[in-house]
Amino acid sequence: MTRNLISIGAAASASDRGGRGRRGFLADLGLGFTGLALGAMLHRDGKASTAAWTPPDGRPHFPPRAKSVIWLFMNGGVSHIESFDPKPMVTKHAGKSIGDTPFAGVLDPQKLSIERRVGAGAHRARTTLYPLQVGFRRHGQAGVEVSDWFPHVARHVDRMSIVRSMWTTDNDHGAQGQFHTGRHMLDPVQPTLGGWVHYGLGSLNDELPQFISVGTRPYWNRRDGDYLGPAYDAVPLRIDPADPLDFGRPERPVSAAEQRVAFGLVESLDRLTGVEYPNDPATAARIASYELAYRMQASVPGVVDFSDETEETKRLYGLDQPHCSEFGMQLLAARRFVERGVRFIQIQHGGGAAGAWDAHSAMKANHEKNALSVDQPIGGLLTDLDRRGLLDETIVVFATEFGRTPGTEGADGRDHHPFAFSVWLAGGGIKRGVVHGATDELGYHAVENRHYVTDIHATILNLLGLDSRRLEVPGRKRLAIDHGAAIREIIA
Amino acid sequence: MNVLAPDATPSRELPWLPRQSAHAAVAIAFAWAAVAAAAEPAAGDQAAIYSEKIRPLLAERCFSCHGSLAQEAGLRLDTAALMIQGGDSGPAVAKGDPDASLIVDRTNDPDPASRMPPEGEGEPLSPEQFEMLRAWIAAGCPAPPDEKPEADPRDHWAFRSRVRPPVPPVVNTGWAKNPIDAFVATRHEQAGVVPQPEPPRHVLVRRLFIDLIGLPPQPEELAAIEADPSLDWYEALVERLLADPRHGERWARHWMDVWRYSDWWGLEEKHRYSAKNMWHFRDWIVESLNADVGYDEMVRQMLAADELYPENLDKLRATGFLARNWYVYNRDHWMEDTVEHVGKGLLGLTMNCAKCHSHKYDPIPQADYYRMRAFFEPHLVRQDLVPGEGDMARDGVPRVYDGRLEDPTYLFVRGNAGSPDKSRTIEPGVPAVLEFEELSIEPVLLPKAAFQPERRGWVIDTHLAAARHSLDARQEAAGKKPSPFTAQAVAVAKTRVYDVECRAAAMRAKWAADDAAETEAADSVLEGLRAAALTANEAAVKAERELAVARAWSRVAEVNEKLQAAFEEKKDAASLAAIGRNLDAAREAVEKAQKALDAPIGQHTQLPGAAWAATNYVKANEDDPFTGFPETSTGRRSALARWITDPRNPLAARVAVNHVWARHLGKPLVATVFDFGRKGATASHPELLDWLASELVEHRWSMKHLHRLIVGSAAYRMGSSLANAGRSAAIDPDNKLLWRREPIRLEAQVVRDAVLALAGTLDPALGGPPVPKDEQEASRRRSLYFWHSGISRNRFLATFDDAMVNECYRREQSVVPQQALALVNAGFVRDSAAAIAARIAPRAAGDEAFVDEAFATIVGRKPTADEVTACMAAMAEWRALPEARTEASVERPLVNLVWSLFSYNDFVTVR
Repeated sequence: MTRNLISIGAAASASDRGGRGRRGFLADLGLGFTGLALGAMLHRDGKASTAAWTPPDGRPHFPPRAKSVIWLFMNGGVSHIESFDPKPMVTKHAGKSIGDTPFAGVLDPQKLSIERRVGAGAHRARTTLYPLQVGFRRHGQAGVEVSDWFPHVARHVDRMSIVRSMWTTDNDHGAQGQFHTGRHMLDPVQPTLGGWVHYGLGSLNDELPQFISVGTRPYWNRRDGDYLGPAYDAVPLRIDPADPLDFGRPERPVSAAEQRVAFGLVESLDRLTGVEYPNDPATAARIASYELAYRMQASVPGVVDFSDETEETKRLYGLDQPHCSEFGMQLLAARRFVERGVRFIQIQHGGGAAGAWDAHSAMKANHEKNALSVDQPIGGLLTDLDRRGLLDETIVVFATEFGRTPGTEGADGRDHHPFAFSVWLAGGGIKRGVVHGATDELGYHAVENRHYVTDIHATILNLLGLDSRRLEVPGRKRLAIDHGAAIREIIA
Repeated sequence: MNVLAPDATPSRELPWLPRQSAHAAVAIAFAWAAVAAAAEPAAGDQAAIYSEKIRPLLAERCFSCHGSLAQEAGLRLDTAALMIQGGDSGPAVAKGDPDASLIVDRTNDPDPASRMPPEGEGEPLSPEQFEMLRAWIAAGCPAPPDEKPEADPRDHWAFRSRVRPPVPPVVNTGWAKNPIDAFVATRHEQAGVVPQPEPPRHVLVRRLFIDLIGLPPQPEELAAIEADPSLDWYEALVERLLADPRHGERWARHWMDVWRYSDWWGLEEKHRYSAKNMWHFRDWIVESLNADVGYDEMVRQMLAADELYPENLDKLRATGFLARNWYVYNRDHWMEDTVEHVGKGLLGLTMNCAKCHSHKYDPIPQADYYRMRAFFEPHLVRQDLVPGEGDMARDGVPRVYDGRLEDPTYLFVRGNAGSPDKSRTIEPGVPAVLEFEELSIEPVLLPKAAFQPERRGWVIDTHLAAARHSLDARQEAAGKKPSPFTAQAVAVAKTRVYDVECRAAAMRAKWAADDAAETEAADSVLEGLRAAALTANEAAVKAERELAVARAWSRVAEVNEKLQAAFEEKKDAASLAAIGRNLDAAREAVEKAQKALDAPIGQHTQLPGAAWAATNYVKANEDDPFTGFPETSTGRRSALARWITDPRNPLAARVAVNHVWARHLGKPLVATVFDFGRKGATASHPELLDWLASELVEHRWSMKHLHRLIVGSAAYRMGSSLANAGRSAAIDPDNKLLWRREPIRLEAQVVRDAVLALAGTLDPALGGPPVPKDEQEASRRRSLYFWHSGISRNRFLATFDDAMVNECYRREQSVVPQQALALVNAGFVRDSAAAIAARIAPRAAGDEAFVDEAFATIVGRKPTADEVTACMAAMAEWRALPEARTEASVERPLVNLVWSLFSYNDFVTVR
């Protein structure tokens, strides 16, 4: 808290005005977005029955390997067995009941007991095997199999670690929130990973929000910072240079020149407040916040304005393709934010009901269409980050809330499947060309090197130089499972 | 400091170097060096390591079973001496010999079944912690010589009964205005700090207005009060504001935070959380505060109005406090929310920490958590029909009732709902440490209107009126657009009126018979009444069937119309065939309904007076069966309410006054407002807290009495400036001793309301349904009337730290750039600025006079000379811009000035 205490005393006068461009001011304060969460910290002073506790100082706990995260989350649940974890046995035994195959053991109630349902009913087994709806090919030097729905992503298998042994507990889309917080939706609410990263790390760019959320979140529209405070919520962003942020432009006709004078006047008045109210940290923070706001308003539209990108780059992200241009723009914006030092860019793909990937019916058509809208942009992103030297310091994560059942739902769908699914990571400190963990022959259960969702959190925090246990807030006990354990096998 | 090492410390050969900033890299390198250095324990000083690391670690992992709370196996670990002394199995530590120490053995046991702490009770020690413990034992278990064991938890200050403390004598008698100040001044004098002087009158006036009614004074009001020569102007103003209906709105929003107000929400239209029409609970809070209903009485109504006032719909609104926890899919989740927040909100107790195991810090065994749950186990939620609205989804009073009278409460092993301990049923009860007399729980016999809500006088009339209203509407529609379909709709509506009339008659006949049976009516009379009831029932059953037939015909007419339209539009054969199939189905339905006309007479459907909030626990996507409204209530919740509001309850009044104090003064006396337990903060002024709690209780728990006391104190009236406060600031930089006022950033609602109020556009209407999200932009209602739920948040209010729906015992007061953008760019702020400028401009002669008036309006004071200079300079700049020449009713530079002042720090700050 003392880092916010500065003097803006009687020395200030009306003639000091026109402080735009005094770049030194913020640097003197050491204030970023995090630092401005002044009230939050003042509050927490009260919680200090643990006298030793201090809020994070914005510095990593140990040398980081990466500085930013691009978090791609596929709403609805991607079929693991038709993306990154091929299971030929499902096709071979298609039409049979699982109980009539050599793999009947997967239905062992003990194994199914990790599932924690929110609503009524027991586990709904989808027992009639439904053949894989897509072919697989080997890619890269490692010869890793990836489904034909992801040809562009597949070109990068040598750059990524695929974790095929994920599991979660919520059988429904509450698992979306669970993937981000580590907690089942019936448990007490926790901040999301992005909120923790924001909380733990100082900003690399004072002109931009540090934690950005793009795309829809139909099922878990919550405040990411939760008990860390609203300062650690993601800032929702639209890829629209004319209107990228809430309140990011005047809602009534006001010119930039008028606004500039207004900001100048407000700063002068705030500084003059120091005559009667010297050493007031809140006033100091407010002055800084207006400086930041002024620059943020000016900077953000430029980041989502792609006019300075080459046509080749735009094509790389599929901006010329109607089926994938929306996601492509989001990913191109993500790269541009990463270049400018934004820490965590969370991109949710696929709105509608509980998420676009939720293929309870017409599995093939659903995933074909969704894959088409994300594949080229993701491939483009990885290529672009790599050629710009950004991939080494940026972690790209491809995740979803759960997998889909090997058995059929209705005629041609797959149901939710929390027992096994796949995610992959690439870039900053992640091993290249690794397939980690495995599921059984049907992709029913993660059987080898099983990982709960928070192991992904721990891996990312580790690469960012953070130890989640040292970020804990007094009075907010976190459990071992909240912290997870970094997956050492995929860390370079 | 580095006890908990990172899981995998990456190799230091590959330090990340940021691309952009060499400074940042240097900073990180420094930070890392500092961390690395601190990681090495100061060798040799094992006593210090014990005090700083080992004892806190044992406190966290072990003391709850081996300390003052409990002594499992006769063992305590809360001092080194007690460890050496040991328990039933001998000493826990062997000085100098870790390998012979039981504690080393047990904490490092590879078998999870015998390892300490037991599974589910705490994390095992990490290898680093384990080594630290060994090293300390090897060094001979050094500890501070004066080490004291943990105090008896029952002696914790907040669990001890409250005694009204004597008001201390003070030296600074000139300063003190009431007894609050005696408590505050005593501490000032002990520490040598000096209270900051009272600020000018305009500061106090703005402070009182915002604090008591949530709106700033209008400039005319402010001028009048500043000119008031009477000595008691301050007290008079306080009385005026406390009597203002807007006071209830202001303080209702505070209590809505604490009591977790939430409108209903779910996934799209599917209702999952809270209750429809929850706004009745909000209106009850506003009205109760304005009427100065005692805090104790409010709490009693919130927990048990259905048992205490079963016929009083106004008071039943209070139980929205409980109905808010309703959750369609999971009963345990609902119960957990209830127990947690009754504990935190009303008692300052973290009962929730005892769900899976006994409380780690407070004397609350795990069973106590379930005893608390048992109070709520029988209760469910329903909507009661309100006069004039037959559709209870559109309006009704959400309230609770005991509907699951026989449901047992079981302790869940490790908190797991899948592992109930069915060997014993848990009875409702309060934690033993807080019990001052045996709790008496008596079932409550309910009046008929409670369990037969259709008997309420207005219910039948409302259904009749609704049916007739619908008939009028259909007739009007048919007149405008005659067609077979609209004609059939009229027929349906007519049949419905008939149906409702028949059912109303049948219900009345049945009540007459039932009531007569309860009095000792003659058999012949009784028989007559019963026969009449049977006849009326038959008519009602038939009417219902006629209605079904009419509705089936209506469907046929509807499909026919579609078919005709499809023919005219020359739709393809497949579409026509599909509609044809619908027509067949509709005709079949008519046949079926007609056949049913002759079925044996059963029981007619009652016109409902209440609707159960159907849960979905048993089968997926299917309402659970309705179990009826019982004739008795268990009396559990009213017993709980009596215990909480008993003057002898040590917690309730303390927790309440702490909440009130925090909102007046900007910080609470007990920082952990929802945790008064041993892990919570200690009170900064314990005697003051108890004195205020005693005042509250002894003045019939009147919150207005409390407000008067607090805002009347010199402590409240101090200035917030740090000017000339060097000595006090040096002694007590955090103002723990209250030697100055804390400035307060306006709450989200106040920011918006103040802008609109100053513009004169704030809608003064009180109460009513919440403003939905898509109407909020244009709405001029006070912000507390905005839809507020888990998924519906107003984007302007959210920017200013609006209450989190799930839990908000204190608002954050962050300062973030998004707030600046919101104030600068929000349309309503600019519109308000234009309105204010237009009002001031005609009477302000020249820019300087305008600046004067604008300042007085927005900030509540005249500007200083320097401020005028700054404003004039900005005006000159604006006048030089081409935009200044835009046609407008009021000059743009004037609007710009007012608009800028909304961004000024002292607009969003209570000084």
